[in-house]
Amino acid sequence: MDALKQALHLLFSLDPELLQILGVTMRMSFFSTTISCLIGLPLGALIGTRSFRGKAFLKKLIHTLMGLPPVVAGLLVYALFTHYGPFGRFNLLFTVRVMVIAQCLLIIPVVTGLTASFMEQSTRAVIDTAKGMGLSRRRVLFLCLSESRTSLLSVVLNAFGRSIAEVGAVSIVGGNIQWKTRVMTTAIMLETNKGNFSFALALGFILLLIAFVVNVAASFVVREGHDD
Amino acid sequence: MIEVHDLKKTYRDRTVLDLPALSLAQGETLALAGANGSGKTTLLRLLAGTLKPTAGTVKTAKPLLYLPQKSYAFRGTVLQNVLLGTQGKKQQAMELLEKLELLPFADKKASSLSGGELQRLSVCRLLIRPCNLLLLDEPTSACDPQSATLVLQALEAYRKETGCTLVLSTHTPRVALEAAGRLLILRDGKPEADGAPQALLQSPDSDWLRAFIAGWRI
Repeated sequence: MDALKQALHLLFSLDPELLQILGVTMRMSFFSTTISCLIGLPLGALIGTRSFRGKAFLKKLIHTLMGLPPVVAGLLVYALFTHYGPFGRFNLLFTVRVMVIAQCLLIIPVVTGLTASFMEQSTRAVIDTAKGMGLSRRRVLFLCLSESRTSLLSVVLNAFGRSIAEVGAVSIVGGNIQWKTRVMTTAIMLETNKGNFSFALALGFILLLIAFVVNVAASFVVREGHDD
Repeated sequence: MIEVHDLKKTYRDRTVLDLPALSLAQGETLALAGANGSGKTTLLRLLAGTLKPTAGTVKTAKPLLYLPQKSYAFRGTVLQNVLLGTQGKKQQAMELLEKLELLPFADKKASSLSGGELQRLSVCRLLIRPCNLLLLDEPTSACDPQSATLVLQALEAYRKETGCTLVLSTHTPRVALEAAGRLLILRDGKPEADGAPQALLQSPDSDWLRAFIAGWRI
């Protein structure tokens, strides 16, 4: 109860550090979700709707990468961007940008895999019916996207949920630096390690609140889709 | 018009269709029959071009329209579904909906239709467009006898109006008798019998055919 009160106090008192952490969290999640979707959605759509050699292997690879442990992704990106790494000259380690890159490594396979599975299962009927009606290729593609928009939006929201709740990769490559790369999850981890449980719980409640808002938005989108 | 030569479709070791020849003149009507897995849908999909043959050639008249076995409702109303990809055909769409007794549902969501209604809507969506070849995969499978009659009447009217070639698959002898001048019965992907529906149904010339026809719901 104390933690809940503290969470509300933190929110309503507009605590500057909390606002900064929230800002970094939202910025990171927005960019990692957007980039992952820009790459993963078309790639998943291609894999899901086309037949080609090596498709089964590619799907297995994507499914394996969907389960990539965040700390492994973090380590990999750390190795690439550390001072002596191949991309060390860009000086990106311990910045929000590299946190976005690490998250993309985790989220792109999720978006690609979910999109491919969905498109494979549900657009066959759309394509067959639309082609059977003699509609143009462009029209068929438009119909595929239009008919699957509810599920594709769910994929996007799923990606956002994964990004906002991720801790392993961002703590390794971001370093959890106060006023710079600290996000909600790494702040919770830090406060827990310090033994400041009620503050950590308060942050947890705020994170839950954000997740709740995202889920409400998702269910609203799904309901809207059914109402069409 | 349809010209098929040495058409084969195989999946790994299994040959699902092996049709040495099939020829249909413009305006001719053909019903395909056979047990499940006999190759009816495969043949229709090969004719429609949605499936590539393993071997052989397929020549068909264009434009062609194809009704898949599984009906699908696009988002939007019944009327919007019929008008999809067309321009200035609202009056024609309303007439078609009336013919197929779907006019009361014109402003309802297509996804709210029953299986039989959705199948009639799928037929409507095709019949609003002109074509030279109409391919239908079990167009009355979800319809009750009255609705099936409506569909068959609409198909006949469309065929007379456009002069198109019509190929449909069916499990119902009535459909073969009423909608087609020719019946091709497939067995394990191969043609078992080919001729006038009435003659084939009345005097089957093999034990297998006799047993198959006896199993049909007449």
